[in-house]
Amino acid sequence: MILENAKVLWNKKLGPSYYKVGLQCWNSHLDVVPGQFVMIRIPGQMDPLLRRPFSIHQTLIDNGVVKGLEVLYQVVGKGTARLSKVKRNDLVDILGPLGKGFMIPRSARMVFVVAGGIGIAPLFYLISNLEKTRHDMHRPVVFLGGRSKRDILCLEELSKKGLNIHVTTDDGTYGKMGLVTDLLEKRLEKQLPDMICACGPSAMLKKVAVLSEKYNTRCQISLETTMACGMGACLGCAVKIGNGKEKYAHACVDGPVFDLDRFRL
Amino acid sequence: MMNNKNEPDLTVNIGKIELKNPVMTASGTFGYAEEFEPLIDLNRLGAIIVKGLSLHPEKGNPPPRIVETPCGMLNAIGLENIGIDQFQKEKLPFLKSISTPIIVNIFGKSIEGYADLAGRIDGVEEISGIEVNISCPNISAGGMAFGIDPQTAYDVVQAVRDRTTKLLIVKLSPNVTDIVKIAKKVEEAGADALSLINTITGMAVDVETRTPKLANVTGGLSGPAIRPVALRMVWQVVRNVAIPVVGVGGIITANDALEFLITGARAVQVGTANFINPRATMDIIGGITDFLKKRNIEKVTDIIGTLKVSTSQ
Repeated sequence: MILENAKVLWNKKLGPSYYKVGLQCWNSHLDVVPGQFVMIRIPGQMDPLLRRPFSIHQTLIDNGVVKGLEVLYQVVGKGTARLSKVKRNDLVDILGPLGKGFMIPRSARMVFVVAGGIGIAPLFYLISNLEKTRHDMHRPVVFLGGRSKRDILCLEELSKKGLNIHVTTDDGTYGKMGLVTDLLEKRLEKQLPDMICACGPSAMLKKVAVLSEKYNTRCQISLETTMACGMGACLGCAVKIGNGKEKYAHACVDGPVFDLDRFRL
Repeated sequence: MMNNKNEPDLTVNIGKIELKNPVMTASGTFGYAEEFEPLIDLNRLGAIIVKGLSLHPEKGNPPPRIVETPCGMLNAIGLENIGIDQFQKEKLPFLKSISTPIIVNIFGKSIEGYADLAGRIDGVEEISGIEVNISCPNISAGGMAFGIDPQTAYDVVQAVRDRTTKLLIVKLSPNVTDIVKIAKKVEEAGADALSLINTITGMAVDVETRTPKLANVTGGLSGPAIRPVALRMVWQVVRNVAIPVVGVGGIITANDALEFLITGARAVQVGTANFINPRATMDIIGGITDFLKKRNIEKVTDIIGTLKVSTSQ
């Protein structure tokens, strides 16, 4: 885990509300599992006060060691609006990598990846990582959904990887009109993967959960919650888990990636 | 004049225990300390106050439990904790390995509940003290209910005092008309020290959905937003009690901590700052040291309670 002021390498705008920021870390190399996140803060300010959690989108490798990372984010409030203003060579305070990432079993041969909008952020890194480390696996099938064409992210990069990609938009401006989970179900009727990995809006995750149960397929989802510390100290990021008796897990240390069977949506 | 080679003396005494410096961690903001171990040297802290404990585990409030507000945050965690048994089994072994005094924050649902828990802890050698939480705004039974009435506060503290000889700190609520009245009663009941303030009850609303931003509707406000209120209350209390006061509320930097010490707090607790900067306590200890060095002040106690107030006004 590192806590340091990272140097901004770039902060690129990707359409109306999406950005990619590249951060170079100085002191130590990072050991990242896809699905893990970092807590980011702009130094020297009291408002917004708290760090913001962002999943790691890519690692930046220098001489074989991870010396930085990239975060893909959407401007949704005060913290992300402030982040969108940082420029090359500015310093950004980062803490991480934190939390539990995706755990793809050794026995798995096929993964379906389901992303809604900005939900592709951690999944892109998962896909790249599997490509690099799991030559025993088939290429993942990717399902990308968004409200509109501009909410379909990373399409070019994913296409370059030569993956099988299914795209839907709510308004039909790109791909098939409708919900990404409809395409997922069509595919599940024909082929069952060893694991579904999903990240996106809660309505999408709920549908994915229903499908994973219906088709009896293992599923891991990455959750987004409000957080203060990111380290299991504040207990602010509680999420309900388990069936029956109400229990809470903490997205920062028990997640943000959860196995669906222990999670109640 | 201080020898330049020497570091200033930061030790302070709170009741019967000596702290190597006046910087403690506030309960509920530092977990059980092990969470921060990868990032800071826990042995450098003045004291560690662990997350509030109860006799039995508590699952806490439903989410959302936190929301950011201008220069602060509201929380309604609901005192989620693992309970004393699991604490002793799973958390205490790690805490034993740290040289810093460990203070356990406790809460109960009845006076007997507080007393029983204090009795349990009294027998645990590795725990240096107890901080009694009579001021949590986020649980329906207990918590703040014990801290807003002077007589009830007295009864809780007396019951706890009867069961422990350990350092006894009582954490006061700012959500009262007259904090001095409560402070005096708690002192009379046998507390060794007071810590103030706990969070200030607050609320935030989402105007789009017209719903409260916290599932609990109300929560406790912390962070720099509450610092002036905390400082004012410390000022009021230190002039009216003889026991040490520990200042808490929105301390982010060494300068903030110094404000409390100069006003008369014997020590401080760092809370919300731990979430923003996990190394905040280290930075504050370093900053206090630098402040004293620069002014050739030998001991931190030389600045405690040195607030200069013009008498002509």
